[in-house]
Amino acid sequence: MNKVIFKIAALSSIAGLLATCSEQQPAAPGLSFEESLQQQLIEAQPGDVIEIPAGTHEMTRSLSLNVPGVTIRGTGIDSSVLSFANQIQGAEGLLVNADDFVIEDLAIEDTVGDALKINESHNVAVRNVRTEWTGGALTTNGAYGIYPVQSSNILIDGAVAIGASDAGIYVGQSNQIIVRNSRAEYNVAGIEIENSTFADVYDNVATNNTGGILVFDLPGLPVQGGRNTRVFNNEIINNNTGNFAPEGNIVGTVPAGSGLMILANDSIEVFGNTFTDNNSANILILSYYITERPFEDENYDPFPEAINIHNNEFNGGGTEPDSEPLVALQANTGQPIPDVVWDGTMLSGKQANEILCMRQNGEISFVNLDAGNGFAAPNFDTADHNCELPALSEISLSTGAE
Amino acid sequence: MSKHFCRCSIITASFSLILGCSDATPVFYESDNPQRLSDWNLFNLSSNDFVPSSESIVFRPANQLFTDYAHKLRTLWIPDGAQAMLVDGEIDYPAGTVLSKTFYYPTDSQGSPIRQPDFGDSSVNLSTNKLIETRLLVRRTNGWEAFPYVWNNDQTEAFLRVAGASTNIDLKSDIENFDFVYFVPNENQCAGCHVTEHPDGDMHPLGAIASQLSSSFLKNQSQITALVDRGWLDQYPDVSSPISWMDESANIDERAQAYLNIHCGHCHNPSGAADTSALLLDGSHNLLVNMGVCKRPVAAGGGAGNMLYSIVPGNPDRSILLYRMESDEPDEMMPELGRSIIHKEGINLIERWIREMPGSCPD
Repeated sequence: MNKVIFKIAALSSIAGLLATCSEQQPAAPGLSFEESLQQQLIEAQPGDVIEIPAGTHEMTRSLSLNVPGVTIRGTGIDSSVLSFANQIQGAEGLLVNADDFVIEDLAIEDTVGDALKINESHNVAVRNVRTEWTGGALTTNGAYGIYPVQSSNILIDGAVAIGASDAGIYVGQSNQIIVRNSRAEYNVAGIEIENSTFADVYDNVATNNTGGILVFDLPGLPVQGGRNTRVFNNEIINNNTGNFAPEGNIVGTVPAGSGLMILANDSIEVFGNTFTDNNSANILILSYYITERPFEDENYDPFPEAINIHNNEFNGGGTEPDSEPLVALQANTGQPIPDVVWDGTMLSGKQANEILCMRQNGEISFVNLDAGNGFAAPNFDTADHNCELPALSEISLSTGAE
Repeated sequence: MSKHFCRCSIITASFSLILGCSDATPVFYESDNPQRLSDWNLFNLSSNDFVPSSESIVFRPANQLFTDYAHKLRTLWIPDGAQAMLVDGEIDYPAGTVLSKTFYYPTDSQGSPIRQPDFGDSSVNLSTNKLIETRLLVRRTNGWEAFPYVWNNDQTEAFLRVAGASTNIDLKSDIENFDFVYFVPNENQCAGCHVTEHPDGDMHPLGAIASQLSSSFLKNQSQITALVDRGWLDQYPDVSSPISWMDESANIDERAQAYLNIHCGHCHNPSGAADTSALLLDGSHNLLVNMGVCKRPVAAGGGAGNMLYSIVPGNPDRSILLYRMESDEPDEMMPELGRSIIHKEGINLIERWIREMPGSCPD
């Protein structure tokens, strides 16, 4: 045993050498790439740029960053890859709790849980970052790809998110948000803005997800009152992948074939988008009651309001609905589900034109499901919704990152 | 400074106990982060024994966190002339304070780790135990900092591993064997638990706090009394010792809450890292739903285990909370950090608590 050797060494030093022990000082261990990367992230100083070289780097544990003002930079969205295929610890790939954070030009693959979680951080830029589960749309994939939560001044630009079992790009409980020039595919939700305020979602492609773009407001969360989101100039195409979310999660209730779903959120402006072949419906506007989930939250407003849909283009869709009321509707009419579906519920005293306005959308079809009366009398007339709502302001980030 | 260790073993080896070792006097570093644990002088290490400096107090909180059945030896040291003050009922330690927690496993005659109950020894016999890691929590002028040190195989030194480390453990017991990867946390992961107000709060101790130290330990004396007697604490806090989750004579509800508080409350509190989930397990909930009763998951992903609620009264098999305690998958398991294997005793407690809980949830 080494202990014996040590003892002998000690005795020999007593026996006259009186040497210092430094010669027998145990050697410090060397570090792997993964360990030295994590060490860099811990010891970083504000202003540091941590570079991820080209190549696929195997990670076994979650990485984390708590130092503000740090940039993590790879060599390209396909060339610098942090692969977590053999991850054995940690609930995410990279966990960031740090203001003034930039991450760019790299990919995070096959994490056991969320790929990039950014919690309570302010002034965040995610540019040319790919998060992907490489085995395709599997329930066992991690929940979120790019996941800022309880954060502000967030720019997500040029991202690619593939395979998340919840949302590819998910911004939750946050404010001042831009998601643009990004591509989300084969996720349950492509891009989701949840319990957040002041978001611009534009120039994105959402395709082959269960639902393309989701704008939700849910009860029971510390941050509520989701409102003021603009969804514009996006291509929302063929989001018909079967829902593969684990049960119990709210996105598990999203019907396959949902182009844009607005749930209980207010002041949403939807314009300049192209909706193509989303086979439940191109747009769904729903109250939280449609989920049939009870809630005990006095401050929660379960109804969507001030939804402004104009100047969009609709092609096809609604041919294969994945939701009981929509299947029943299709059976009754013999027609595809209309482009815009509203469940028709609202607070008493409200008028339909306070909930939803539609104009200049070319050939657009519409249905009010009359969900409040057991879907008894669906109404296809758009007359109550031929109205205008004020345009929302452009988001400008205090960082000027855009 | 590891010369000190070395000299100590020389003397022990040569003259046995005739001369003995001079006792280590701990050293506080305000800014340097020594790469070697021996530089802190917190312990007397020989080839046979690992013994805390007599200038430290060995302590044990009333409720201890589960860490893969590792044994733990905790020390507290405050430099001469410094004193902790009671501030708003909590102990505010002075700059210079060094807390340590050494994780080790008893070993069999082959040197393989074996599972044994931890009765809280105040030193470690190295012929029958293996040291894994020593974590320091150091109170500097600007606040607490955490340093994980990992022991080498020779058990002659522990080195600072800022990025943590992992080691394979094959833990044997009469009932079953556990073969797992033991994780030493990295410094950020230390903060993951020790910063309870996320993200801007300060790091602080979780075990060496007024309530947890109000229990008795060595010499059957309240550990608070030991601190006051030494002049390390200026006055007695007005707290009673908390229920221990292991106390089988206590009420099941209080035991379960004590267990959840110590294992989950550092993140699942109103300002903790897990407040995004709206699940509060630190005892601060107003509504049962906030403690998980009939509460829907928010962003649990696969961690929801295809179930609808965190806790379904009377139905532990449909409760996500228990499911996540029973998981050892990194994306599902709770707590996320601090264990690789499941804690059967904790699961049994929470299982019984949920089973006996009155009420039901909507289907």
